[in-house]
Amino acid sequence: MDPVKLTIDGREVVTTKGKKVIQAAADAGIVIPYYCYHPKLSIAGNCRMCLVEIEKMPRLQIACNTDVSEGMVVLTQSPKVVEARKSVMEFLLVNHPLDCPICDQSGECWLQDYYMQHDLQGSRFEERKEHDRKREIFGPYVVFDGERCIKCTRCVRFLQEVTRTGELEVLNRGDHSTITRFPGRTLDNPLSVNVVDICPVGALTDRDFRFKVRVWYLKKTPSVCPGCSTGCNISVETYQNRIARFKPRVNEEVNSHWLCDEGRYCFHALTEVERLTSPLIRQEGGLVPTDWETALWAALTGLGKADPLAGVLSGRNTNEEAFLFGKVIAKLSAQPALEVFYQERELTETEKVLKSPDRSPNFQGARDMGVSTNGGFDLLLRELIEGKFRGAYIVGEDLVSLPGNGEKIRQALEKLSFLVVQDTELTSTAKLAHVVLPATNFAEKEGTYTNRKGRVQKLNAALVPPVGALHDWQIFARLLPDVGEKISSHTPAEIFQEISRQIPRYGGLSYATIGELGIQLSDETKQL
Amino acid sequence: MEKILLRNIDIQDSHTLQVYESRGGYRALRKALKEMTPERVTEEVKASGLRGRGGAGFPTGMKWSFVPKDSLKPKYLICNADESEPGTFKDRLLIEKDPHAMVEGVILASYAIQSHTAFIYIRGELAFGAKVLERAIAEAYQAGYLGKNISGSGYDLELILHRGAGAYICGEETGLLSSLEGGRGWPKVKPPFPATHGLFGCPTIVNNVETLAVVPWIIDQGAARYAAIGTEKSKGTKLFCVSGHIRNPGVYEVEMGYPFRQFLEEDCGGVPGGKKLKGVIPGGASMPVLRADEIEGVRMDYESMQAAGTLLGSGGVIVMDDSTCMVKTAWNIARFFAHESCGQCSPCREGCHWMEKIFARIDNGSGEKADLDLILNISGNIIGRTICPFGDAAAMPAAAFIKKYRDEFEEHIRQKRCVLT
Repeated sequence: MDPVKLTIDGREVVTTKGKKVIQAAADAGIVIPYYCYHPKLSIAGNCRMCLVEIEKMPRLQIACNTDVSEGMVVLTQSPKVVEARKSVMEFLLVNHPLDCPICDQSGECWLQDYYMQHDLQGSRFEERKEHDRKREIFGPYVVFDGERCIKCTRCVRFLQEVTRTGELEVLNRGDHSTITRFPGRTLDNPLSVNVVDICPVGALTDRDFRFKVRVWYLKKTPSVCPGCSTGCNISVETYQNRIARFKPRVNEEVNSHWLCDEGRYCFHALTEVERLTSPLIRQEGGLVPTDWETALWAALTGLGKADPLAGVLSGRNTNEEAFLFGKVIAKLSAQPALEVFYQERELTETEKVLKSPDRSPNFQGARDMGVSTNGGFDLLLRELIEGKFRGAYIVGEDLVSLPGNGEKIRQALEKLSFLVVQDTELTSTAKLAHVVLPATNFAEKEGTYTNRKGRVQKLNAALVPPVGALHDWQIFARLLPDVGEKISSHTPAEIFQEISRQIPRYGGLSYATIGELGIQLSDETKQL
Repeated sequence: MEKILLRNIDIQDSHTLQVYESRGGYRALRKALKEMTPERVTEEVKASGLRGRGGAGFPTGMKWSFVPKDSLKPKYLICNADESEPGTFKDRLLIEKDPHAMVEGVILASYAIQSHTAFIYIRGELAFGAKVLERAIAEAYQAGYLGKNISGSGYDLELILHRGAGAYICGEETGLLSSLEGGRGWPKVKPPFPATHGLFGCPTIVNNVETLAVVPWIIDQGAARYAAIGTEKSKGTKLFCVSGHIRNPGVYEVEMGYPFRQFLEEDCGGVPGGKKLKGVIPGGASMPVLRADEIEGVRMDYESMQAAGTLLGSGGVIVMDDSTCMVKTAWNIARFFAHESCGQCSPCREGCHWMEKIFARIDNGSGEKADLDLILNISGNIIGRTICPFGDAAAMPAAAFIKKYRDEFEEHIRQKRCVLT
C-alpha cells in the first residue's frame, strides 16, 4: 500500500494509493455529502452532490470517482463547491413532491438533512411538477414512490452487484426517468429490504415498518440478529417497549452493511407472543400458576429423580446462559445429555450471501460452554424419541412444533416422568410440562453470542421484560445454590468474567474488549 | 480546392467497391498492411494534424496512441455513425455515397491500434445508410479487405454493423459503449477513459465517420499533404452542413480557416428572399448561436470559432433570417435537449426540463423578466457539472440565445407575444 499525501481543506491527509477523495476525506473526518455513492457498490457518479474543487482542474470533480494523488489539493468548502451543492439540491427538489409530513422517511431522509446543511433556500421552481407512480408494490416488503426518487440507482446496483438478482432497472429518459421492475419480476429476493436501507430518500420504504412510528421516537439499541448464526450486527429499534424494526449495523467482519429479510423480521415471531408472566405447575392434570420458589423447587426435585436426563438449550440462549445451564444439568444428572438446538436447511445462492443454514445464532457459543455432550442435537432428539430419557429440561424451543417429527416428540415427552419447559409463551411443548418457567426473549436480555465463525458479539437489552418473567440466566443462577453449586456472579458481565477464567477459548475477554463490533476468537472455528 | 472527403460522391455508383477501387480505393490499406507498422500508421495520422470530427476536435493520432500496447484484453475500434446533432447530416452523406472510404478508414484505424474486432454504430433512423453499409461491408469481406489474413498480411479484422435505436445520447462515446454492451445508453463516469477501459472494459477507440473516412486519403497521399491544408492548428478540410434560411443548403467541404461570412454569402448564396441574416449556429444545435454582427472576421476552424465564443462542433450550420423568433427557436432547442437528456445525473435530468418549461412559458406569453436570469443561472448550474458533455450541450445554447437576443426576449415578455408577427 503506497502512502499518498494530499491536502484537504488545508489539512494534510495521508492515505493510500487507489483511494478515492471521498474515502480519504471520510477517513480524515472530513464529510463530503453524497447520495449515489456507497462504499459497497460500484461508482455511479450521478447525483453530483460530492463535487469538490481540485487545484489545477478547471471543473469541479466528483469526489467519489477521483483518485487521490500525491500533492493533490482538495477544497470541499470553497464558495464554488458550496454554490454547486446548493444547486444540486435545488435540482433534486425540482420535481420532488415535498410531502415530508406523510413520508415515512421523514427524520432520516438525506434530502431533509442536506437541505438543512447545504441549501436552505426557497424553491425557484414555479412550473408544473412531473408526476410518477405512487405506492407501487415492488415486493412483499418493499413499496415504491416514484416522485420521491432521486434516481441515485443504489437499489439497481445493489440488486445487480450484491444479490445478483437484478429485479430493478431505470426506465425512460430525462425527468421521466423512473425505477421499475423488469416485466414479470417481483422484488422478493431474500435480501430485498436492504434496498430500503440504502435508499437515501423516501422512494423505497419498508411495508412492515412504515406508518407505525415516526423515526425520531425510536430508541436504538445495538445488538445481534437472533435469526441465524451469521450474527449480523443490528440496531434494535423500539417504541413503547415494542420492537418497531431491525436495521443493519455496519460490521465489515460480519454482515458489511446488510441484513437478510428473514432475520430482519424474525422479531415478530420471537417477541409478539402471549407472554407467560408466572411459573406454572401441573396439578390434577392441569397447569396452574404458582410462585417462583415453589416452581423452582418442584423443578429441581422432579428432575433430580428423572435420570437419565436430557437438557435442550435454545440456540438463542446466550453464552452466559449456556455456561450456567451446563452447571445446573451437571449437578442434576450423573450422565447429563446436553445439546443446543441445531437444525440445518438448504440455502439458495442469494441466501448464502448472508445467511447461515441454521436458526441458532449461538449454537457455537453454547457448544463452547459445554452444552454438547451427546453427539449432536439430532442424536439427542432421536434418543428422546426412542425413549432413552426419563426426564428433560427444555429451554426456549418448541420441539413439539418442529416440522416432521413433532408428533413423535409429543408422544416421547408425554411418557417422561418429569419435564421442565422454560419459555416466553405457553408453547405446545410447554403444555406437556410438569413445571413451566416464564423466561425472556433475546431483546430483553444482556449477554453474548458467538457466531458460526467464532466471533463473540454483544447482545444488549432493548426492551423491558414483563413483570413475572425472569431471564434464563437468572433462573439458572437461582437454581444453582439449591443444587449445591456456589455462585458469585450476579450479572451477565460477571458471568462472562467467570467464563473467561474457566473456558480457555474465551480467556482474557470481557464486555469491554468485545465492544460494539465483537471480537474474533483466536483459535480455529470449531467444526460442526 | 481539391476535394478530399467528397471526392467520390458525385460519381455514378460511388457506393460500390468497383467504383471505389477504380478511384484508388483500398490502395492505402494495401500500402499500410504491406509497408507500414501499426505505429507508423498512427504516427502518420498524428503528423497529419487530423482532429476528431465528431465535435470535440481531439487529435486523432494522439487518441490512438493512448491504447495500451501491452494489454492482454481485446481492443476495439468503433466508428461512431450515430449522427444525431440537429442541423448535422454530413456523416449520412458519407455513409450513403462513399461507404468504402469509411470502411477502409475503420480497417486502417483498427490496424493502427491492433484491434481485431471493429463496430460501426449507426443511428437507428439511418435505415438506408445501414443497407448501403451492409452491402459495402459484404463487398469488403468478399474482396478480402475484412476477415482473416487481410490481403495476405496475416492481419485479421471482423467488422460488425450495429444499429442504434435513435437516442441522441448514444452519440456520446461512452453512451454509445453502454448501448453497444446491451445496456441503457447511459454515459459512463470518467476516468477511466475508453482508450483503456472502453467496450466491455477493454481498450477502445471511438472515432467519428468523417474522421475515419479521411484516414485512407492521409495514408495514401501522406500526412504532409494533408497538413499543408488548413490553418496552423486546424488541419485539412471539414464538412459543413448548411440548413435553414439559406439559398443553397447542403453539405460543403471547406478548407479549415475559410472565412465564415464569405462561405455563407458566396458559397452558400446568402439569405434568400431579401431577408437579412439574424443569427447562425455554426456547429449544430448544441453550440452557442452567433449574431449576424458577430460573424465578421470569424474563420471556419476550431480556434477562430472558439475565439468568437462558440465552437466548431459537428459543422452543422443553421442559418436564421430576421423573420425568426428567437424565443421560439430557443424553446425548440431546449425542448430537444429536454427530450434527449438521458436522466442519469441530477443537473441535466432536472435542469434541461426546467429550462424548457420556462422557455415554453415565455413563448406563450406567461413569462416574467426574472425568468431570463433564472434560465442563465440554471444553465450555469448545469455547465461543467454533469457526467458527459450533454449538460453543456443543452445549457450553452439556452444561455447564448438569451444573452445575444435579450432585447427580443424582454420585449416578447412585455408584449406577451412574439414581436415579429
